[in-house]
Amino acid sequence: MIDYRTVYTICPFCGTGCGILLEVMNGRLEGVLPCKTNPVNQGKLCIKGWSAHEFVHSPDRLKKPLVRKDGRLEEVEWDEALSFIASRLKAITQAYGPDSFGAFSSAKCTTEENYLLQKFTRAVIGTNNIDHCARL
Amino acid sequence: MTNSVEELEDAACILIIGSNTTVAHPIIATRIFRAREKGAKIIVVDPRKTHIASYADLYLAEKSGTDVAVINGLLHIIIKEGWYDKEFVEKRTEGFAVLKTFIEEYTPARVSEITGIPEVQLRQAAEMFAKAKQSSIVYCMGITQHTVGVDNVLSLANLSMATGHIGKWASGVNPLRGQNNVQGSTDMAAIPNVLPGYQSLADDAVIAKFETAWGVTLPRKPGLTIMEMMDAIGTGGIRALYVMGENPMVSDPDIQHVKKALESLELLIVQDIFPTETVALAHVVLPGVTFAEKDGTFVSTDRRVQRIRKAIEPIGEARPDWQIICDVAHAMGAPDFDYASPSEVFDEIASLVPLFAGISYDRIAENGIQWPCRTKEAPSTVFMHKDTFSKGLGTFKPVAYKAPAELPDEEYPFILITGRDAFHYHTGSMTRRSKSLTGQINRCYVQIHPADAKKLRIKAGQLTRLRSRRGAIEVEARITPIVQSGSVFVPFHFAETAANVLTNPALDPVVKIPEFKICAVKLEKVA
Amino acid sequence: MDRLREGIRDALTEGPVAGVMGLILDGGHPRPHLFTKGRIEDLDRLVVGEARYPLAAVLLKVLRNDLDAHLGIVARGCDERAILELVRNVQLNGERVVVFGVACSSEQASACQCPQPYPSSHLSGERVAPVSDSEGLDRLDRLSEEERLQYWMDQFGKCIKCYGCRNICPMCFCTTCTLDEDDLIQTGTIPPEKPIFHLIRAFHMAERCIDCGLCEAACPSGIPLRTLYKKMRNVVTTRFGFTPGITKEGKGPLQYLGDGKFGEQEGH
Ligand code: SF4
Ligand code: SF4
Ligand code: SF4
Repeated sequence: MIDYRTVYTICPFCGTGCGILLEVMNGRLEGVLPCKTNPVNQGKLCIKGWSAHEFVHSPDRLKKPLVRKDGRLEEVEWDEALSFIASRLKAITQAYGPDSFGAFSSAKCTTEENYLLQKFTRAVIGTNNIDHCARL
Repeated sequence: MTNSVEELEDAACILIIGSNTTVAHPIIATRIFRAREKGAKIIVVDPRKTHIASYADLYLAEKSGTDVAVINGLLHIIIKEGWYDKEFVEKRTEGFAVLKTFIEEYTPARVSEITGIPEVQLRQAAEMFAKAKQSSIVYCMGITQHTVGVDNVLSLANLSMATGHIGKWASGVNPLRGQNNVQGSTDMAAIPNVLPGYQSLADDAVIAKFETAWGVTLPRKPGLTIMEMMDAIGTGGIRALYVMGENPMVSDPDIQHVKKALESLELLIVQDIFPTETVALAHVVLPGVTFAEKDGTFVSTDRRVQRIRKAIEPIGEARPDWQIICDVAHAMGAPDFDYASPSEVFDEIASLVPLFAGISYDRIAENGIQWPCRTKEAPSTVFMHKDTFSKGLGTFKPVAYKAPAELPDEEYPFILITGRDAFHYHTGSMTRRSKSLTGQINRCYVQIHPADAKKLRIKAGQLTRLRSRRGAIEVEARITPIVQSGSVFVPFHFAETAANVLTNPALDPVVKIPEFKICAVKLEKVA
Repeated sequence: MDRLREGIRDALTEGPVAGVMGLILDGGHPRPHLFTKGRIEDLDRLVVGEARYPLAAVLLKVLRNDLDAHLGIVARGCDERAILELVRNVQLNGERVVVFGVACSSEQASACQCPQPYPSSHLSGERVAPVSDSEGLDRLDRLSEEERLQYWMDQFGKCIKCYGCRNICPMCFCTTCTLDEDDLIQTGTIPPEKPIFHLIRAFHMAERCIDCGLCEAACPSGIPLRTLYKKMRNVVTTRFGFTPGITKEGKGPLQYLGDGKFGEQEGH
């Protein structure tokens, strides 16, 4: 069965915020069309926007959590990675206080994700040590 | 941006300073082209003759790092000639008298001496900008990535207030954000000194609101910036670091220092989509997803909150980043991280952040909304500061010109400018995995002025070594008059020859932005 | 509109057609969409004429993934012209493509400056007269050769090398593109090498361009690309009596090249 649809979203690169349509065929991204009705870009894109689907299916994508064991990063299940983090984080912040933790958030992630990471940093750990690369 | 992208097209004069717009924000650049076709005057101030500079009515080739002097020089002429907006200054601002006295000494002759811009061009620019019906300023990292970044921004505010070119359609001060959601990250207080929506850590009512909502006692002491955290790692202040979607091993200045710091951490958690240079140093790695595999919002450079939508399922066992943070919080035993979807997270944001209070996923289903939007009925704020500034009157804050932190000397005779290439983005982890983009260019280069190349007998395409006090890289030479003689330019997207091996971590004292745009280097051909 | 919907519904439910390419209105934005039998309710949101996307190119993309598929397309005049040329250029099998025609209104025709704002038959709309626009061309023809060159060089200089003109063009069906060849055009520069980047594309469109204007609408730099390609199109029409998208029968003049008919004399 053939399946072709387009999904309206926003370009992941610069801060202009151009509207794009992702072309999805059978669960894979096949291309990008410029959204003609987005008021910012009005059907136009730069080369980065036109290629915004290309890195998504890169074979290099990280597909499983990794934990360093004997100096090497090894694939583990989510539960193991999460409990490893929890026990190490608790041990460090209990021994040295919340200000021994820091978080680098990301200008490439969503607004909600940035909100959640700062909430985690401030409310769960208890420090204001959070920043992102706006300066960089 | 105080204005919207659309408005630029209607400006009568656009002053572009420290923005290689065609390369970094192409679709905004093309609005500027359209403005020009409708008769707008375009002024470009930049140490490099960028693509957009070649289409400018007036190109001011400044010496690197002299922006404050340029702007003060323009203000001097504008005030002397009486071209400033007397009514606006009187009704909407304070501190004009101080500014007026202060910029006395920035005479065209002196400014020309500092900046290298001929006096006559300074006069032309001052007149064009001040007298146009609507003038807009457009700037980018070329303004902020300096030890005097804040001074640069303040001086632009002075210019726009003195000329009354702010708070109107097509008139304002417009910083272009480099990355898709810099605006949103900052709005959400992924910064150490405020709470979401720029609410003060010092305000008891604000703290009480957040403490009630989150059910915790909040720390009041401002935290550390990225650069300060890097230093604090070395001294044992920071022992655990959670890096989400960032690659400081390419993006931060003085990479060798960064590497040492990251290696000395007791716990480095990295959440990313690709095995980056930073992932290689992690103790634990969490696979996040791309923009195409999750829902959420991005806030673009003109404060526009727009939705992104999940188009495909996550690859492998990767999880949406919002979900991972909740998973980590749960693992830590935190009770309050149960969200069924990003839309619920957004509703919490709207309930705590007045600037976003009127926005919801439903309202932005079709087109975005530009904040501030304080009620469910309020429309987008197309341009800001219409009748009043956020603090009432706008205050002139005069700033003095200061030289960059590291200037060329005998040993390191060239100024190095870093910036973007048109075909790549940030640390390249995404764009260098895109064949259309790597097909254009996939190697670092250095732009060298023909006169300098001739002197050093460097030919186009030749491997050239750049050395600063912090490190060295070897890259291919591109001979081009885009750069001034005495300056070289290197794009920063290429991890294997990272420009930030060379850059100076000297910071702006207020906002701690490193001086990426200027450091001193030595240039030699590789035998 | 009802006749169009019914026609598509019948073809999907009873006919051999597996899917129909058209526009769906969703969340306020019309978007290309493949209407299928499995989600027949989508048809309620089918729209025509709200925005123009290269539907023929999208159709081709889907067919390349599924060579045996039998598909339909909701086609305005320009879409049908594109289908005609894609069939002529052996990219599409005409027998596997069903056209559901839509005639454009006179406002649409004049907004697009459309040389043929209707397909050969239509289920929706009324035929209106073509709008022929030669103003841009005439203005340039009046300039001296030097002024004209200067004009185009200035225009090409604005190009940000987004490849939008190529990417959106329904007639850019090649799977490898000369515009990507680094031994012909230097890669990695903005603007791209002048004037070769734009002239190569213009030459390649000479017997293909169906004058839909999608390229110009997608060009962020506002370069009057359609005028450039019109010039080429006019040359082909005058010299060979062939107009892409309009001439119904026979091959395009350049398609003879591979046959050896002209080739031998030219020493190939
Ligand atoms: S298409 Fe280009 S200009 Fe538009 S947001 Fe993406 S990177 Fe920026
Ligand atoms: S007008 Fe442009 S997009 Fe349309 S067929 Fe011709 S070249 Fe292609
Ligand atoms: S669409 Fe315009 S800017 Fe983009 S490559 Fe084509 S001519 Fe250049």
